[in-house]
Amino acid sequence: MTDRHRRYIDQITRESSEYLQQLLAENDRLRSIIGELETEKTRAEASLREALSEMRVRESSEDSLRRRLEQTELESRAFADRYLQIEQQNANLANLYVASYQLHVTFDRQAVLGVIKEIVINLIGSEELAIYELSPDRRELLMIDSFGLDAATMIRLPVGLGLIGDVARSGEMFVVPSRQDMAAGEKVTAAIPLKVDGHIVGVLAIFRLLPQKDSLQPLDFELFDLLAAHAATALFCTAAFEQAKLRGDAA
Amino acid sequence: MRKKILIVDDSNTVLLMEKMILGKHPFDIVVAHNGAEAVVKAAQELPDAILMDVMMPQMNGLDACLEIKRAASTAHIPIILVTTRGESANIEQGYTNGCADYVTKPINAPELIAKLQNVLAAAVAEPSVS
Repeated sequence: MTDRHRRYIDQITRESSEYLQQLLAENDRLRSIIGELETEKTRAEASLREALSEMRVRESSEDSLRRRLEQTELESRAFADRYLQIEQQNANLANLYVASYQLHVTFDRQAVLGVIKEIVINLIGSEELAIYELSPDRRELLMIDSFGLDAATMIRLPVGLGLIGDVARSGEMFVVPSRQDMAAGEKVTAAIPLKVDGHIVGVLAIFRLLPQKDSLQPLDFELFDLLAAHAATALFCTAAFEQAKLRGDAA
Repeated sequence: MRKKILIVDDSNTVLLMEKMILGKHPFDIVVAHNGAEAVVKAAQELPDAILMDVMMPQMNGLDACLEIKRAASTAHIPIILVTTRGESANIEQGYTNGCADYVTKPINAPELIAKLQNVLAAAVAEPSVS
């Protein structure tokens, strides 16, 4: 082996050793980077798990809030419906109060008859009505007031004959709840016996309802009951007051 | 804020009924018994809205509506007509004479309040120039 060859081998050996050292150093650096990346990955995974868990909590909370919102909306609608019902009930009570109050506010017979007509027209909703009283011999109904009718043919009605006369005999209220229920040719919607202390003293006949009113409502039946008792009493009181005035008992 | 409502009807039964319906709300009530009185009261009281019957003695609700709308001081006041018959001719005449809305008898309380609140809200949204 020549010197030249030996120097070459030494050089190769030295360079190989340096290269190996560099590779080892690079390997260490890469290991360190891998270690850092592993740590970062672990941290990222932990963050992801935490975020997922938080998302699930939020989704659950959102569901819960949505359910509560739906529930609240339902309750709110129920309260609104109930409010409307109570408003309607209040209005119905107001109607009954007004009818009762107005019937007893005066002893003037014409005023009481006017109030009966106003109740039928404005609170029940009919512009065709007739008010009858029993004749002293109780055989006939005599019309004492009417509205919106050709009254000439109906001034006197025999008790027990016809729909109105039958109500005067039986004391049973006759009511056709809706326009569709009305028999062909029939015009009476309601015939209400007027009673004082259980005794029939007359009949209030209500004919066609106003065009915008197709059927009677529960309040109308309450008003019929009220009129049956209070209209009769009010009319009876006016007669009693007139008699008392004639006798000089009242001013 | 309380609103002043002029109610016009020749029937005491209806006036009492309307007072009871409106009384549960923040309204101050002024009353007139016919159209002529309504025209005078509208000018004197300058109500926020008027609830007016159609069929009345002396001056009916349609004529009173026209008079109130013709006067500069009362033209801005919204009027709701209360009509017994909801016939189209009657209603068209009401709108021609300047009414803002109408209700038919027998009065439905929630409907009346809703319509009154609507015309009051519209009046606030479109205040009069005068």
